[in-house]
Amino acid sequence: MGGAGWLFLFAVLMAAGLLFCMVFFIIMFSDLECDYINPIDLCNKLNQFVLPENLAHAFLAVLFLTSGQWTAFLLNLPLVLWNADKIRKKSHMYDATEIFRTLGGHKKETFFKLGFYLLSFFYYLYRCAPSPFSTLVASSTWMIVALIAESE
Amino acid sequence: MSSSPAQQLPPGWAAEWHESRASAIPIHWSVLSRLAANSNSEAPNHAETASGHTQWEPPSQLPESQPPSTAQPTAQSHHGKRRQYAAGQTQAYYGAAEVAADPGYGVAPGLQPQPAGGQLFTPGLASENQFQAQQAQVPGQPSYYSQQPPDQPLAYGADPAATAGGYGSQPGQQPQYIQPGVDALAGQFGQMGLAGGQKQFQLYTSNLLTSPPEPKELHRPPPEIRLPPNSSISPSPLANADPSYQRCTINAIPTTSSLLNKAKIPLALILTPYRSLKDGDEPVPVVTDTVIARCRRCRTYINPYVQFIDGGNRWRCCMCNMSNEVPQLFDWDTARNQPGDRWSRAELNHSVVEFVAPTEYMVRPPQPAVYVFLIDVSHAAVQSGMVATATRTILENLDRIPDEDQRTKVAIICYDTSLYFFSVPPGSDSSMLVVSDIDDVFLPKPTDLLVNLAESRPTLEALLGRINDMFQENNIIGSAMGPALQAGFKLMSPIGGKIVVLSASLPSVGAGALKNREDPKILGTAKESGLLQAASPFYKTFAIDCSRAQVSVDMFLFSQSYQDVASLACLPHYTSGQTYYYPAFNAARPEDALKFAREFGDVLAMPVMLEAVMRVRASRGLRMSSFHGNFFVRSTDLLAMPAVPQDQSYAIEIQIEEALTTPFVVFQTAVLHTTCYGERRIRVVTLALPTTTNLSEVFASADQIAITTLLANKAVERSLTHKLEDARDFVYQRLVDILMAYKTSMTSGGAGASAQLAISDNMKMLPVLVLGLLKNVGIRQSAQIPPDIRAYAQALLTSLPSQLLIPYIYPTFYSLHNMPAEAGTVGEHGIILPPALPLTSERFERHGLFLIEDGQTIFLWVGRDAVPQLITDVFDLPGYDVLRGGKITLPTLENEFSQRINAIVQKIREMRRGVYYPHLYVVKEDGEPPLRLWALSALIQDRADVLPSYQQFISSLKEKVNTT
Repeated sequence: MGGAGWLFLFAVLMAAGLLFCMVFFIIMFSDLECDYINPIDLCNKLNQFVLPENLAHAFLAVLFLTSGQWTAFLLNLPLVLWNADKIRKKSHMYDATEIFRTLGGHKKETFFKLGFYLLSFFYYLYRCAPSPFSTLVASSTWMIVALIAESE
Repeated sequence: MSSSPAQQLPPGWAAEWHESRASAIPIHWSVLSRLAANSNSEAPNHAETASGHTQWEPPSQLPESQPPSTAQPTAQSHHGKRRQYAAGQTQAYYGAAEVAADPGYGVAPGLQPQPAGGQLFTPGLASENQFQAQQAQVPGQPSYYSQQPPDQPLAYGADPAATAGGYGSQPGQQPQYIQPGVDALAGQFGQMGLAGGQKQFQLYTSNLLTSPPEPKELHRPPPEIRLPPNSSISPSPLANADPSYQRCTINAIPTTSSLLNKAKIPLALILTPYRSLKDGDEPVPVVTDTVIARCRRCRTYINPYVQFIDGGNRWRCCMCNMSNEVPQLFDWDTARNQPGDRWSRAELNHSVVEFVAPTEYMVRPPQPAVYVFLIDVSHAAVQSGMVATATRTILENLDRIPDEDQRTKVAIICYDTSLYFFSVPPGSDSSMLVVSDIDDVFLPKPTDLLVNLAESRPTLEALLGRINDMFQENNIIGSAMGPALQAGFKLMSPIGGKIVVLSASLPSVGAGALKNREDPKILGTAKESGLLQAASPFYKTFAIDCSRAQVSVDMFLFSQSYQDVASLACLPHYTSGQTYYYPAFNAARPEDALKFAREFGDVLAMPVMLEAVMRVRASRGLRMSSFHGNFFVRSTDLLAMPAVPQDQSYAIEIQIEEALTTPFVVFQTAVLHTTCYGERRIRVVTLALPTTTNLSEVFASADQIAITTLLANKAVERSLTHKLEDARDFVYQRLVDILMAYKTSMTSGGAGASAQLAISDNMKMLPVLVLGLLKNVGIRQSAQIPPDIRAYAQALLTSLPSQLLIPYIYPTFYSLHNMPAEAGTVGEHGIILPPALPLTSERFERHGLFLIEDGQTIFLWVGRDAVPQLITDVFDLPGYDVLRGGKITLPTLENEFSQRINAIVQKIREMRRGVYYPHLYVVKEDGEPPLRLWALSALIQDRADVLPSYQQFISSLKEKVNTT
């Protein structure tokens, strides 16, 4: 397994982490809708994760860029730009006073990101050189997918 | 709906109904409700109350065929009526054939599925004989409605005379009578009680091209609510909420969302649950025995629209159909300790009631009212005289601050770039403690900063008298408002209450410091909406902290220059406070000082609801989807309001989630709150509306006032999230949608081009109201409006109740020099106002005196050829040339004309709810241009700059409707 293989193995793990992050967001949003959590706590909790999530994704993109993985970089570029734009407009944080009005949009965005990370997860997995290790990863992947399906 | 039912008697009644009896009803009513209201502790419900109940029956239940002499209502027959009411219920149980013979009681099949053979449950209906007498009497009742004389009086709500005659629609088109009601019987007497007569809903079409707006249309009541008969268990006319408490944009709810989408009318509730009481308003009855019957499943409070089943032992919820047990003490009079009459309970007869809440409704014991005053004492504030006026007003109003139980607490903190705390120990002199460390705010003393008003009263009075002198020589410029807020918050957060901020400068240091971001270049551009949003996140996060700690913030802003009202208004917005703005305040002008002192005094005296949460419940299938107003949305349907001021309006949009199957739906607003007298209470407002499957009924029941109120809220919200341009387009598009929907489905024109612009008669003021909204300072297209003025107008647009909002959008215009002789004199309902004119400068005459008012400002327009006598009579000046424009206090002179004008101005200042005391400006026809233009901008039917005139607006609407 060469350098690219290790890179994509790392990307697989990152994507899995981001995936979990998004699942957590979605669970929190549905908690809010069911009134299990109040908007202030929700925003305090989620806002801790927003910047780390954006940074992790940007870091991954930078890794692809520096290692010359152009396809993977271009795939990630739009999302990086979009996140950067939100930070620039200072609208990346969840606002407890407006959360109920904007909840639909937030959910849509989170679902989109979830789908994106899921697809990129499989893409990175595929790009890992076929090795016994990747079969191990693949089998654990299906476990993760099953878990997600269950949690939703 | 009206508090004087006598007015609603159709003309036909007087002849067949005994005069004395008819007039006795309203009297009885007021007495009764007063009794009910006073009955909280000392005045128990007397037997008179119970017997008074008999008179609530709609007169239609009296056998009409009886000759007047025998129909003389005696005490005996009162008694009979009472039984009759109960018997009506009983017959329903028996399912007897007689029931059908009695249209008045006729239980709509499927509406009230009553178990057959149930037992009698109404207390008082003991004697079998009486019951049988009833049974015998019932078939004797003629079927009254079929015997309508041919010259039947016109129904109150329909008012076709005005439409048919007045506004000259095209003869071929109108009155366009769409459908004669669902059923001749169904609409007979809704819940209006005395409204009586035959109620068939009628849809009249008006052609907007030929019928100019008529200001008096705005004072018509909303379209009548035609509930199916027997939907309410109480015949009281107060069983449905008054529109000033709660109104809906459509008074007949479409059963499916597709029907609603066809009509394009937004569905929303406009509510002012804590409406103030003006003279003559019924006080809200209070249920004191803490017997609170609520549905087990949906937590609805018992109301006049539930049904008693199972012999009165259970009740069926009107929202979710759950069958619930009636509490054991429901029929027990705790005041007298003996069986009571459930039918006289306030919650079964009134749509607006207050329950005294037991401890289950408390998180902690009821808090005292707390007021923390944050007074800006920087150079600008002292020089403008704000500090002197404010402290004097507080001093003068210490008696009016609600403090019945002597628990109210008060603190005063002054600030410039430091904080000045005042220790006010009871019984000794006050002392000042200066805290200059504003980065990490701390309280300099653990006690005596927040003191009991009654105990420290003398010290407090002495302090208030001194504050202005203390800071008279203060030359510090700058404001640490954020740290002052934090200090105030620290002081009161264990209790909660109200922070009153008085500020005359832009917050410049410490947390929440703001920059002057006013930039004339970006006014009128897409970037302008940025200026209307909070510049610093502090004001949102702090608002959330406040909301959690039950602290509410009121802002009084006085700056000469830019103060960033948009950011500061955030705090009141999310903590259910209110923003008051006095641009370029200068106490040297007596008008400024008077206005501020009046409004501030009224705010201090206002009995606020503390620690409140509000929730609106609705029948199954309806969901509250979005909320507009001053509060914090704490969960999907729970609104947190730390302190509810009086006369604040909220708008709640409703979604129809599944098809409605019931003949009527119920909306219930419950506000759990602590009164400022230390009592936990629940205010419940219930509104029942019929459902309909008929598109024309939807149009005929649309309430233009409520629609406008909603659109104002939506427009402001949109201007913040999008652009001002988008907000205007949105409002305009909503109007076009409604017109198009009406045209395609209600007129013969269908989809093609049409020579007229049709709308139902009850919505014909909607276009001019929308035009007024588009021309309102809050969202008007202009590059000249300072962002502060705009932000304040937006704060007003989202918090004013309809009664104040409508004049704010569509001002009132009077001609004074030629007003009718009785105008300005005292009439039956107070001072008589002259007839309102349409808002166009065509009505100006060069020799005239005119008055334009929008509830916030009054303009006296003086024509340039005004005769000297007129000027002398009104202003006590020799002629037009010496008259100066601007703010003025009108002198009261020894002549009739002056006194009448003063009376009219006085009436305008007092007739509406709310604390606002409008400024009076004299505007000369050739006076200084800014003032002239300001006054002229109130005449919204004129063309101004890029804004279209009413005629242009209508023709652009017509074009839009015809082309798309």
